[in-house]
Amino acid sequence: MYTFVVNGKTVKTDKKQSLLRFLRDELHMTSVKDGCSQGACGACTVIIDGVTCKACVPTTDRLEGKHVLTVEGLSEWESQVFTYAYGEAGAVQCGFCIPGMVMCTKALLDVNPDPTEDEIKYALRNNYCRCTGYVKIIAAVKLSAKILREGRTPEKSADDWKVGSRVHRLDVEEKVLGYGKYPDDFYKENMCYGSALRSKYPRARVLSIDTSKAKALPGVAAVLTAEDIPGENKIGHLKHDQYTLIPVGGLTHYLGDAVALVAAEDMETVEKAKKLIKVEYEVLPMVHNIKEAAAADAPKVFDEEESNVQAYKHVSRGNAAEAIRNAKHVITQHFETPWTEHAFLEPECAVAYIDEDGDVMVISTDQDAYCTYRECSLMLGTDKVKAENALVGGGFGGKEDMTVQHHAALLAHHTRRPVKVRLTRAESLLIHPKRHHFVMNFTMGCDENGKILGVKAKVASDTGAFASLGGPVLERACTHAAGPYAYENFEIEGTAYYTNNPPAGAFRGFGVTQTCFATETLLNMMADEIGITPWEIRYRNAIRPGGVLPNGQIVDESTGLVETLEAVKEQYDSARAAGKPIGLACAMKNAGVGVGIPDTGRVKLIIEEDHKLHIYAGASCIGQGLGTVLVQMVVSSTDLKRGDIVYERSNTWIAPDSGTTSGSRQTLITGEACMRACRKLMEAKTDGKTLADLEGQEFYGEYLAKTDPLGADVPNPVSHVAYGYATQMCILDAKTGKIEKMVAAHDVGKAVNPLSCEGQIEGGVVMSMGFALREKYPIDENCKPIEKFGALGLFRAHEIPEIEAIVIDKPGLDVAYGAIGIGEITSIPTAPAITDAYYRLDGERRYSLPISGTPYNKEG
Amino acid sequence: MAVKKKFPYRAAVVACNGVCAASAVSKCRYGCVGCGNCAAVCKFGAITLNENGVAVVDEEKCIACGMCARACPQEIIHLHECANYIVVKCVNEDKGKEAREVCPVSCIGCGICEKTCTAEAVRVVDNHAVIDETLCLSCGMCAVKCPRHAIADLRGVLTEG
Repeated sequence: MYTFVVNGKTVKTDKKQSLLRFLRDELHMTSVKDGCSQGACGACTVIIDGVTCKACVPTTDRLEGKHVLTVEGLSEWESQVFTYAYGEAGAVQCGFCIPGMVMCTKALLDVNPDPTEDEIKYALRNNYCRCTGYVKIIAAVKLSAKILREGRTPEKSADDWKVGSRVHRLDVEEKVLGYGKYPDDFYKENMCYGSALRSKYPRARVLSIDTSKAKALPGVAAVLTAEDIPGENKIGHLKHDQYTLIPVGGLTHYLGDAVALVAAEDMETVEKAKKLIKVEYEVLPMVHNIKEAAAADAPKVFDEEESNVQAYKHVSRGNAAEAIRNAKHVITQHFETPWTEHAFLEPECAVAYIDEDGDVMVISTDQDAYCTYRECSLMLGTDKVKAENALVGGGFGGKEDMTVQHHAALLAHHTRRPVKVRLTRAESLLIHPKRHHFVMNFTMGCDENGKILGVKAKVASDTGAFASLGGPVLERACTHAAGPYAYENFEIEGTAYYTNNPPAGAFRGFGVTQTCFATETLLNMMADEIGITPWEIRYRNAIRPGGVLPNGQIVDESTGLVETLEAVKEQYDSARAAGKPIGLACAMKNAGVGVGIPDTGRVKLIIEEDHKLHIYAGASCIGQGLGTVLVQMVVSSTDLKRGDIVYERSNTWIAPDSGTTSGSRQTLITGEACMRACRKLMEAKTDGKTLADLEGQEFYGEYLAKTDPLGADVPNPVSHVAYGYATQMCILDAKTGKIEKMVAAHDVGKAVNPLSCEGQIEGGVVMSMGFALREKYPIDENCKPIEKFGALGLFRAHEIPEIEAIVIDKPGLDVAYGAIGIGEITSIPTAPAITDAYYRLDGERRYSLPISGTPYNKEG
Repeated sequence: MAVKKKFPYRAAVVACNGVCAASAVSKCRYGCVGCGNCAAVCKFGAITLNENGVAVVDEEKCIACGMCARACPQEIIHLHECANYIVVKCVNEDKGKEAREVCPVSCIGCGICEKTCTAEAVRVVDNHAVIDETLCLSCGMCAVKCPRHAIADLRGVLTEG
């Protein structure tokens, strides 16, 4: 029997297990998050005898007599201080890392009430955050220290909840104090645990599956194979080429393909049962990369496809070849960008059960509850399915596909019991689609003044084991490769190939991160050749309101690229004058799906029995702060106050389908739908009616962002309803070779919440500092990727430079208060800006990411 | 504290567990021999010999001047960042079997730490574990999994310090 103290109470256990499992599974202290169980992420940080400790590390037998403190054990005063400080600083996005960060904050301030910034960074440095870039968490610690010293919580600096106000996000408290629930925090009565047996080989034919021994194991509730799927086996976000379970006779596509599913009373039994399943394979040669996939005699990744080409895009306008032929300056270059892992802090998890209507209910962490609903319905062959978002611990594009939801649904359907399916971190690294690896050949032609005359390019991507969003990512990579510049001749050809690698799909930037690196690097080289600065060449070519983009679209008054360039000019000039190595890059990114695909925002406002207005939108908040944005829009569009409004998480039975959280679209598209619903509410609210008078009424708003398809036969097609623009700048410290400062100027139309907006920018910049300098996702000769979260090369709190986020409001768009999504563009121009800064430092051009020869990359 | 320390704080660490009773009984060629040179050169009283006659650093007093490291005939003292409180306390270069025989808490180079480390910060070099402090996330998983107790948590939470 091991005896120790948790939050002041003596606990006893005779089971030897990790402290993390004990706190979560036995005590249900769910503020202690399980982000990796490898000792890397820090989401499970607790305080033991006054110092921080990752709870997944010590086992219960080592804790005899020790005192453990979790967020649940904070005093009321501390809870109040941390909630205020984290909210005021804007430190909370997805929230999954936050309880761990709060524990680090407390442990530091208990011994050092007035820490320096460096000391704060050191206190946080063993904990990862993927959303915030740490800037605002550091600010929150500083503010917590001040309040604790002074003994008084000040008023919130903004509390009017109008559009443009820096209000605290609405979910700060539940995330800081850890009572908000992510799917893994649900412990349902009679719940069992599920997991998939994965293919042993990336490409093999399944000859037989024998589940008899596994089924006979005591404690096993179900062992399922493809034969047990009542509906379609093949599902998928767009293209249905993702197998729920590989059938006997079927081909495996990567090491993450599921062959059988097990549900049992506990995870130990699940793992035991998985080992008892006998699968016979015929091992076949695998496809490792783009080159092998494209070879004439390549083995086919899919039996049912004609070749390994998953998607092909050709975008052309004007005559690029001729323009380049006639250009005075021409540069041709090959570029490569790597696979990237999203590394959201919360691994995929879903809890499914049969609800009181007899429907399969799926509580999930995803980027679109309706997607979960559609794909699970397809697989179960019934629409008696519901889906609801719990809190979502980050997504960045990596939670758009089914990873656990369909498996949980199938197991619940068969066992009629609640089932939790959760990926281990190693599984998560293998299974959800990654950022595509791209190889690119670009040619750019300019005249003697640096005016771009034409760009021609050929790109290829590795989309791995199933399509996911491979096609649209390739398309966006192609349409945006031209950059935010005014010229007429552009041609690009792109091909996405299936391989036996893990799948690739959506990732913040959606293909543009890759082609932007090529275009912007070429532009920097061109500036040198012509003899003007990288700033000047962009200023000369920049798209301005009324101008025509290379895709033919005439851009509107909201177009603010020039403003972002001007915003960094003074710092750019002074850094250059001081002889500092400095790099610059620009980017554009669509807000909204665009290119003729129906893109609809839908919001329902319901006055419920509590006489409050409840916002229902089938749109996922994955940490970007959609709920806060919608509440701010309601307050600004009606006569209601914050206290009259309740934001409801996305579900599929009350909330109308408002599309996927993807393409930086929710603020604009769902935001406009929300405003339209508000107008209807205000029409009903005439004659001094109160919410109580409107009880039971619903107000529905819908907005269709209408665009033209690619290649539409019109002179100036509207590809996207809005574009965001950005200029980012990297200043190096020549002595250390490290980044001294990143400046990121973003045109966001209208910042609904400037605090959140800055948080997006800082987080995006730090994420792409990783992409540029260090992050790796190695895949070995057996198509097996990295399993260790701590070895991805993610940036840590003590490694970040000063980051200045410049938010530029430029009106011009007549929807959603003029707000343009900021989610993705923050990550796009970072890598080329950093790359150019290093060229200015050491004279070496770099065409492949992550770049080598910097202090951040030892192997370089 | 006599001398003002500069952040990030650094201190000396003695890479010997010191359970093997340094002087007479020990057959370990790599461990602390209890000569006391380090303690003698330290101007801050930051290094002492423990009950087994093995050198131990008091990080509170140590200013990481490096005098002790230079004075150590066994070359087993090095400087590290105090924020990295997970340290390997053995540098035995012998193969596993011999290393096991000379000391109950020697590193035998089994590599469990290397396999366990999420950050790829631990490597077995010359038959003993070495932690790269720039990569280490100070989780202590290696210390917990080490079958030889050769890796320590200097804070005394995960191991006895």
